[in-house]
Amino acid sequence: MPIEIPKEKWTGKVRVVTLGATAAEGGTRTRVVTVGGQACMPFLHFEHPTPHPPVLAIEIKSRPPTDWSPILMETWGEAIRNPATWAAAAEAAGAEMFVLWLTLEDTPEEATQAVRAVLGASGLPLAVFGPGQAEKDNELLVAVAEAAKGERLLLGICEDKNYRTIVATALANGHLVSARSPMDVNLAKQLNILITDMGLPADRIIMDPTTGALGYGIEYGYSVMERLRLSALQGDSMTQFPMLVTVGFEAWKTKEAKVGEGVPASWGDWQQRAIDWEIGTAMTLIEAGADILVLRHPESVKRVKAAITELMTA
Amino acid sequence: MNHTVTFTLPNTLQPLSATVPTGALLTDAAHQAGVEIGQPCGGQGRCGRCAVQVLQGKVRRRSTLRLSPEALAQGLALACQSVVEEDVAVFVPQQEKLERNLTTDRIASAVQVPEGYAFAWSQSIRRVAVTLSPPSMDDQTDDWSRLQTALRSRHKLEKVTVSLSLLRRLGERLRANDWQVSVIYNQADPSHILDVRPLEDPNAPLYAAAIDIGTTTITFWLVDLITGQVVAQAAEYNGQIARGEDVISRIIYASKNGGQEELQARVVETINHLCEIACKRVHAHPQEIIKAAIAGNSTMIHLLLGIPATSIRLSPFITTVNHPPAVAAHEIGLHFCPDAVIDCLPGVASYVGADITAGVLASGLDTTEDIALFIDVGTNGEIVLGNRDWLVACACSAGPAFEGAGVVHGMRATTGAIEEVWIDGQTYEPTVRVIGGGRPRGICGSGLIALIAEMFVTGILDKAGNLNLTVPTKRVRQGEHGSEYVVAWADETETGHDIVITRVDIDNLLRAKAAIYAGFTVLAEQVGLTLKEVQHMIIGGSFGQYLNIEKAIQIGLLPDLPWEKFKFLGNTSIKGTYLALLDAEQRTRIAEIARRMTYIELSADNTFYEAFTSALFLPHTDLSRFPSVETALVK
Repeated sequence: MPIEIPKEKWTGKVRVVTLGATAAEGGTRTRVVTVGGQACMPFLHFEHPTPHPPVLAIEIKSRPPTDWSPILMETWGEAIRNPATWAAAAEAAGAEMFVLWLTLEDTPEEATQAVRAVLGASGLPLAVFGPGQAEKDNELLVAVAEAAKGERLLLGICEDKNYRTIVATALANGHLVSARSPMDVNLAKQLNILITDMGLPADRIIMDPTTGALGYGIEYGYSVMERLRLSALQGDSMTQFPMLVTVGFEAWKTKEAKVGEGVPASWGDWQQRAIDWEIGTAMTLIEAGADILVLRHPESVKRVKAAITELMTA
Repeated sequence: MNHTVTFTLPNTLQPLSATVPTGALLTDAAHQAGVEIGQPCGGQGRCGRCAVQVLQGKVRRRSTLRLSPEALAQGLALACQSVVEEDVAVFVPQQEKLERNLTTDRIASAVQVPEGYAFAWSQSIRRVAVTLSPPSMDDQTDDWSRLQTALRSRHKLEKVTVSLSLLRRLGERLRANDWQVSVIYNQADPSHILDVRPLEDPNAPLYAAAIDIGTTTITFWLVDLITGQVVAQAAEYNGQIARGEDVISRIIYASKNGGQEELQARVVETINHLCEIACKRVHAHPQEIIKAAIAGNSTMIHLLLGIPATSIRLSPFITTVNHPPAVAAHEIGLHFCPDAVIDCLPGVASYVGADITAGVLASGLDTTEDIALFIDVGTNGEIVLGNRDWLVACACSAGPAFEGAGVVHGMRATTGAIEEVWIDGQTYEPTVRVIGGGRPRGICGSGLIALIAEMFVTGILDKAGNLNLTVPTKRVRQGEHGSEYVVAWADETETGHDIVITRVDIDNLLRAKAAIYAGFTVLAEQVGLTLKEVQHMIIGGSFGQYLNIEKAIQIGLLPDLPWEKFKFLGNTSIKGTYLALLDAEQRTRIAEIARRMTYIELSADNTFYEAFTSALFLPHTDLSRFPSVETALVK
């Protein structure tokens, strides 16, 4: 008996956003990344084809991190000594783009240097995030944005209390912004309105709805992302932006990833468990509609990429 | 074991000290030493505003949640969370003071005496002149029987009762006045004698009071029962504010050792003070007040009567009493005539009290044919929707911002308050109107609404309430507490200081307006109505003498409906209380309103929270709900 599969008819669609600019477009990237364009909930290919699969970014730091898990430190080894070698290693590990996270210790010159180094080491698109302190973020990102004019960098992190300077510099130098809101549909939408009110074209905004790791509030983050996507599909233009999630940042601070000793034997091998935690978090959020996932471990990148390929052909 | 706690204060030469047992809190010690330490969160350790510096000795810090590592390194401790376990010396820094400004509402608006008011018909207090034949060796009748006989024979009062406190004064009163007195009683079955006084002219004023106990502001109207006129008005901040800014913090404070008694004393003290001021203005004595009708939210009434309010805060949120019996003034410490009838008006539920039933009475919502929405913009925002056939109510915690508290230069709507603001879109220069016409001292609720609306439409504020520091004016600047806008320069003000509105103030105001907007939209949704179906919007609240509807819509406090639908009534609670004081029928009507009203608990699911966060934006996250503002912004 033939079964007719019911199809949802949506009026809205996620905007298509391209990160990175090639020489022809005024930048120096050899590859660009395009996300968005969905017209249905994730991977319902029978309703609507998924034009752009989720993209995997690898997180790198301007200085060797001091608080990262020894598992990550060992894996990357000497590469983390400088952002250029780290970027090259990340590209080799399968990254489709990088997120370069600056630190509080960086001076604007050092930040600019780190960005130049990464741009020089690889042709992949780049996101640059400040250390997360309003004044410092503004100082560093303005310098970076000017130095990399025309590259279509993704600048972050814009928040409702601190977005003006970052948006202004993105506007002036041809970059994109990442708009982070604390796990709330309304707050996400409000920030998008504030940013577009400043005149930044909507195809230069990525939203970061914030998430928790598996076991640490992920269901809440999942629900917010799902509702944002539903609202976008229902035609609300201020939620029709691709979503970025910082999976590695969340997953690697969980006890399961951090603690190797003094835990029940049934938790299994530490390294395996830590990587699984990152992958579990990533796969859940992919189903919630994530477009860009920022990961830390090469093994996670490899396995999540394989899963995405399957999802795209299923 | 006992320990000595020594307090040093700025501008005070002598330290103050107290001896307390092990385990006492620094706040207990301060109380004992007579040192005022404000606890806006009611002593929960949440607000961090009671921080003091420990100079000598050590305290055990139960919580340091609100203290930074730097503050801890400097020896700072939260007074409400610090346990005394040895002798300590403490420095109490200058605290931000909530100005309990003068209570002179000299420009009080005239209140209309209700049509058809007649002393002898409308209400139950009576005053009669009585002449007694003095006792003698031949007439050995006791004083009380003598008075009863006279009342029975001359005034047909068959059954009367009297209190012990009045009996104690009776003999002296009769003799001192040569057996000619005025007897004041409450007509009932049996009638109750309230006072025996020197003979008064039948037209001489007979004083009573209408009182509204708000979480933030207490309003006192002195009323002459003979003419029905309001002869004096006074208002000031509730003395309980220093022990919690909202009802929840107050309840928590009351549940602490001695907290209940302290809060009761503080509210009574405020009322007695207001009473004195009002009486002085008409050369009356507080002891002449023979009756008072009192409205307030359920927590305020419980605290006034000294009834524990703990259960109001805990699920399933039940009061001890919604319809309190009348008590005598001396029972709760009011300095009126000792036997004065204190009538606390009936409420509906824990969070819909007598202030709202009185408000409904004043607004006439319970008699309209069309559907009307009544919004009382107070610290506890209360909303009633309905008509003569049905009434539903809800409450939402808005905070005291619209009453001028919790805002750096906020003040009550009285002389010196900026009540209206216009800002030039080119120069960003403000024009202000001040109550009383003099130099400004601060900004009241209506002024704050206007100010935010003007800052928003001129682009000084973005939709999230952030100040745009790139606006070309020196009025927008980085101040001590973050970004701010200067409304009046120091040389233009009464205080000699700049009057500013800060980022934090704006956040408080946005939260207040979002809570109110979310409250009435969710209430309407729950009964299946859209706001367009509401015919009358009645606004109450003590944030000003008038309300600029257009500006209240621009900030998203009120829905975008045609202006003619709105009616601003000011403090509806005090108006309803006044009506209930003067008219027994209106008093019955309030009880009927309380009985008919259905209370809807907004915290039952997360609908309210969703509505709240979406309203936490100028004017609203969904701009299509505010077409008139959308148009204004495009311009």
